[in-house]
Amino acid sequence: MMEALGYFFMSWLDIKMLLLTAAGTFAGIYIGAIPGLSVTMAVSILISFTFKWHVNEALALISGIYLGGVYGGSRSAILLNIPGAPAAIATGLDGYPLAKRGEAGQAIGLTTVVSVYGGFIGILALAVAAPAVSDLALKFGPREYLLLALWGILLVGSLSGESLSKGIFSGALGALLACVGLDPMTGENRLTFGSMQLSAGISYIAAMIGFFGVAEVIAQIHELHLKAVKQNVSKIIPSWGLVRKHLGLATRTSSIGVVVGALPGAGGDIAALMAYDHAKRTVKNPSRPFGEGAYEGLVAPESANNAAVGGAYVPMLTLGIPGDAVTAVIIGALYIHGLKPGPMLMIETPHLFWFVVGSLCLANLFLLVFGLTGIKIFAKIVETPKPVLLPLILVLSAVGAYAINNNPVDVYWMLGFGVLGYFLKMYGFQVGPVILGMILGPLMDRSYRQAMMSTGNDVGVFVTEFFTTPLSAIILAALVFTLFSQTETWKRWRSKG
Amino acid sequence: MHTSHARLPGELTFMILSVAISTFMLWASYNISQFESISSPGVFPMVCAATLLVTGLMSLKKTATAKLNLEGETFWQQFARKLAPAQLVLFTVLIVVYALTLELVGFLVGSYVFLLLSMQVLGSKRIGLNVLVSAVVLAAIFVVFQTAFSVVLPAGSLVGPYLPEMLK
Repeated sequence: MMEALGYFFMSWLDIKMLLLTAAGTFAGIYIGAIPGLSVTMAVSILISFTFKWHVNEALALISGIYLGGVYGGSRSAILLNIPGAPAAIATGLDGYPLAKRGEAGQAIGLTTVVSVYGGFIGILALAVAAPAVSDLALKFGPREYLLLALWGILLVGSLSGESLSKGIFSGALGALLACVGLDPMTGENRLTFGSMQLSAGISYIAAMIGFFGVAEVIAQIHELHLKAVKQNVSKIIPSWGLVRKHLGLATRTSSIGVVVGALPGAGGDIAALMAYDHAKRTVKNPSRPFGEGAYEGLVAPESANNAAVGGAYVPMLTLGIPGDAVTAVIIGALYIHGLKPGPMLMIETPHLFWFVVGSLCLANLFLLVFGLTGIKIFAKIVETPKPVLLPLILVLSAVGAYAINNNPVDVYWMLGFGVLGYFLKMYGFQVGPVILGMILGPLMDRSYRQAMMSTGNDVGVFVTEFFTTPLSAIILAALVFTLFSQTETWKRWRSKG
Repeated sequence: MHTSHARLPGELTFMILSVAISTFMLWASYNISQFESISSPGVFPMVCAATLLVTGLMSLKKTATAKLNLEGETFWQQFARKLAPAQLVLFTVLIVVYALTLELVGFLVGSYVFLLLSMQVLGSKRIGLNVLVSAVVLAAIFVVFQTAFSVVLPAGSLVGPYLPEMLK
């Protein structure tokens, strides 16, 4: 026990590791906040600097970047309506309307506090319930992953508001775009039309920058005549009353974040969307209608996506399976440092587990400090006149797209998706589901084929097993409910009740 | 953005194009492995394309029944006002030229020219401020990406040979 505590506090007491955790958290917040820079990209690049470091130093830095980056995406979502990362897509839905009402400071302050709260719940789950959660995740097969990914995309139907068919259209477009390139199972070319460039596939990061960066910049030209939004960031620290009012919701959505984060392949992005959906369904009297600046619309996704970080570490450390893209990169780093993530890691090197838990706790505390400070500097960027700001965001987006592979082709993709995204937005389509479709499409494709092949290509058995396997049946019921809850019949029944 | 049930100019054409492309993608997906097997590489793309087609048709139906209110303008006048004002078109053209010439003229020169021209197009009249802000921001991006993130930004095949080593 004492030994575990010693490892837990190692990064707190060693000045070098303390500074590395602080630097990682600080960098993570700003990298996450800049549209076009993803946490995955930052961690991938920074890991190459840490190869010669001691593994603990590398893990301290990475813990900070990961937690900071997941949170940082919310800042640009609130201030610019451009999510810094997919996990912040839901945050902008209510965060930006709040900023337009002059409550940006309050929104960022509340977001910071609930992110830290969610982060601690995730870390607690990692420390206490890791074996139990990983046991559950271990029971998931391809069928469950297929349903989970499909559910994730369908959830956006409730986010797309105006039209379910347009929400599903966007999700299907993303999933189809993800099919372009070499089939990961057979190596066969799919939808490449003989092009070598298309064989390499389409980067969802380029698409994300295009849809959220370029399209937003182009759309903002309609509002050039409007004076730059003077974001009110004076009241940053939220009142205890405001925080206490939302603690119940934050606890529930953090639990969603932990469970979803612990499911391999499903990270903070799905957790945030599920949490937002949960809030929409369960909060009867939100501070304002959802989508118009409801605090509940900030609390739910932001507590969930930070709680998902702790959850994502569970399968990574105990099973060697990444919880999301960032943990996939971290697994690579652990291998390079001579460690083998998996069931034996906790038996052979339990100190590493407690060191990670301690570093995450420390990073979470730094998140509170850095999250509540320096916002005015960031907000100043938003106060820059649009004729100056828009070209600058465009250049930053182009650099972000170029940085993916040091290839101008990704800049062309970004541009193409930007123009497409502009028209989609103008004609009432949501672009968030396109990105989710691109991220979840490969998981659905692989899971479907594995599940089908496991039945010997017997459609009858394939379908029957959805109802006879308890886990599948539960997720299927949730999925059907998601669809049914969008129908007029359900809405009429709810309004009567 | 689109908030009411009234149709925006070009929306019907956009939806017809979407349905046409969805049909083409369904055909292209079918051609990957036809109906070879229920778990073949073409099945998932076919399901996606079919979903795209069905939901596209549903949206097309809604769009076709919605009314286009021209508010006393011609179609093209309203299209230009609501979707493609001159500033937007010019700015988009500048972005396209910037992207296409990035490798040729390099990041620094290309971005600087793009920033100055686009700020002008978008109506920022304070030329001194534009020149200064563009230079400072570009220098910051260049330093952060080249040093901290090791992203080698294009020096430009035309301009690069004449640039000092530290700016490449």
